[in-house]
Amino acid sequence: MPVNLTPNAIAAINGGDVNSKPLVQVMDIKLIGSTQERYRFLISDSVSTQHAMLATQLNDRVKSGRVKKGSVVQLIDYICSTVQNRKIIVVLNMETIILDCEPIGNPKMFTESESTTQKATPNSNIEHPVRVNNYNTPIRGSFNPQNPGTFNTQNPGSFSNQNPGSFTTSNSGTFRASNPSTFWAPNSGNNVQGFRPTVQPPYQPPPNYRNHGPILKNEAPARIIPIAALNPYQGRWAIKARVTAKGDLRRYNNARGDGKVFSFDLLDSDGGEIRVTCFNAVVDRFYDIIEVGRVYLISKGSLKPAQKNFNHLKNEWEIFLEATSTVDLCPEEDASIPRQQFSFRPISEIENAENNSILDVIGIVISVNPSVPILRKNGMETQRRILNLKDTSGKSVELTLWGDFCNKEGQKLQEMVDVGFFPVLAVKAGKVNDFNGKTIGTISSTQLFINPDFPEARDLREWFDQGGKNAATVSITREIMAGGSKNEIRKTVSQIKSEGLGRAEKPDWVTVRAFITFIKSDNFCYTACPLMIGDRQCNKKVTQAGNRWQCDRCNQEFDECDYRYLLQAQIQDQTGLTWVTAFQESGEEILGCPAKELYMLKYELQDDIRFGEIIRSRVFNQYLFRLKIKEELYGDEQRVKITVIKAEQLNYSSESRYLLDLISKSQRK
Amino acid sequence: MDTSNPAVFVNGELLHMHVGRRVRAVIQVIQSDNVGVTGKSTDGLQVVVKGILPSFALTNFVEVIGISDGDRSIRAEMWNNFGNTFDTDNYNQLCKLANGEFKHLFI
Ligand SMILES: [Zn+2]
Repeated sequence: MPVNLTPNAIAAINGGDVNSKPLVQVMDIKLIGSTQERYRFLISDSVSTQHAMLATQLNDRVKSGRVKKGSVVQLIDYICSTVQNRKIIVVLNMETIILDCEPIGNPKMFTESESTTQKATPNSNIEHPVRVNNYNTPIRGSFNPQNPGTFNTQNPGSFSNQNPGSFTTSNSGTFRASNPSTFWAPNSGNNVQGFRPTVQPPYQPPPNYRNHGPILKNEAPARIIPIAALNPYQGRWAIKARVTAKGDLRRYNNARGDGKVFSFDLLDSDGGEIRVTCFNAVVDRFYDIIEVGRVYLISKGSLKPAQKNFNHLKNEWEIFLEATSTVDLCPEEDASIPRQQFSFRPISEIENAENNSILDVIGIVISVNPSVPILRKNGMETQRRILNLKDTSGKSVELTLWGDFCNKEGQKLQEMVDVGFFPVLAVKAGKVNDFNGKTIGTISSTQLFINPDFPEARDLREWFDQGGKNAATVSITREIMAGGSKNEIRKTVSQIKSEGLGRAEKPDWVTVRAFITFIKSDNFCYTACPLMIGDRQCNKKVTQAGNRWQCDRCNQEFDECDYRYLLQAQIQDQTGLTWVTAFQESGEEILGCPAKELYMLKYELQDDIRFGEIIRSRVFNQYLFRLKIKEELYGDEQRVKITVIKAEQLNYSSESRYLLDLISKSQRK
Repeated sequence: MDTSNPAVFVNGELLHMHVGRRVRAVIQVIQSDNVGVTGKSTDGLQVVVKGILPSFALTNFVEVIGISDGDRSIRAEMWNNFGNTFDTDNYNQLCKLANGEFKHLFI
């Protein structure tokens, strides 16, 4: 099996990455150090090499032959230090993945100038998608072996021009490496690497380029540059890229008159992507030429800032084609350019993704709801269909299909699930919504791939068929709220009164985050009947009759009774304070020990000191209280009774997540 | 809290925004020796901390307060052990809020 080293691992480490746990190859091992034995590796990511010092605790790995020249290793803990003005990688922990391996690629010694043009962007960071800096080449691909990330597929197959959303992979080809710059030629043997040298030197105009006088005219054909290097200050450029999506021809009518517009998306062999937009006469020239899946040579056009509302590609620019632009179809297939580029997130990560972010996800469809008509705000009717996806992260998420997706892919998925087959679904460009936990919804540029043929899909299938099907999953939809209960309603203490909770016919169930501020230590429990009535304990208060206990309900006597909490306590938050009652289970959650133990301490052992310590240790602890609130009649008086159903010690981590979620929701309003 | 001498919540990415200013960051310690501490910021970047070194054994996660020395480097003034488990995602979100839309709420 061919191995792919982690693309640009060396540049990324020099740029400060300590997270990506890359796969690299040991090209050479040298024993150095006069006072202390130290090993120095020459490591390669197939494009660059750099020296790496091995921490002495790993010396034994070399001595015992567990790592040798040629070994492919995964760096686990590592840092980059500067020694005598030279950067050197220090390996603190690593694992050997393949002990013996032929040299991969044709790497060159890593140089500092490269490092300044590489911006390390760990792909584990959801909130900062790879930002393509105009003057830097972005890291090409960010594959993380621990955390399956980006890769490209080769032959996703047919694409409907009418609807950019209906892209299915009926005829998918072989999957290729994660790193577009170290692709294996698709038809080459396993050990023959279709190595392409690094693309042109990264384009690096000084930021004040424009102040340096006019750009010299040069009539030679423009050099092909990576999409990632495109910027508005370049005079001449050409790019070679594959069309991954083609938008509909749209007509518009605005203050400046009528017109038409269409866009398409490009992907090049370095994984760079960009949207191209044409207006009016330019539309007529290019609309029919552009076909999804074909490779084109495109030159001349102006670059404008991308409209991030509509364009979710990882590029801050968008190309506008002009009358002088050229778009030439490359008749020969260029296998170095992937068909599609995905950057899949495990569902567990989507839990923390920002609202409205656009991402790719792949999962097994475990349920499909029927399509239902929904009236949009503008009065138009559309279709909505909800399905559930699950993946190996142990989490599941609701995916909402809108419009045409419901009847095309949605129908197909439903038919599969109805007959007991659970298909793999890859979602390209889904939108995160944080209404009710996290959900993902389709947008017009979303693409759905049913049972696509690439490793992520195969791995999922295998996992699902070999037990994943029955693995318990937690939905990140609706259940994200701290406390984990569905449909949790959060209230503050003062809202209980101000909103008149408990006054309705049915009790109100709410969750309150509060401190215990007072526990009534007299009569904190009662003597209860331990006898079973059917499958439930009687629990009725029993009275002492001599040395024995007597239950009026059961009409029986016994030697030992049960002790159950009937705890009166005050809880307080930033808005106010209230009395609550806690029975057995919640009383035990609050006090941390059984009622009997506390009763014995106080009344049998009469150890008031220890008893006081226990009570004091529970006061001023913060809990998430699940409360049942109901007005009850006490004699002639209506009183609101608040019962603690559950008292959970506050989990600061999940509570913070809840609060962050609340902040992002309030920002939206 | 000393409000006359505030320390901005930062992750690795935000360090360069505050060069010369007092910052606070939680890092996961990767390596510690008599020259300094190398760790991972809450956004997964390598951060080198020099300056006043801690006089006590560090836990897995530490808060360091000091002066931002530029890219990915802090000159430490104070260290606080933050234990061996820590929700770096939440802290990272806090850093973003404290440097973003809610900057005005932070000293
Ligand atoms: Zn009874």
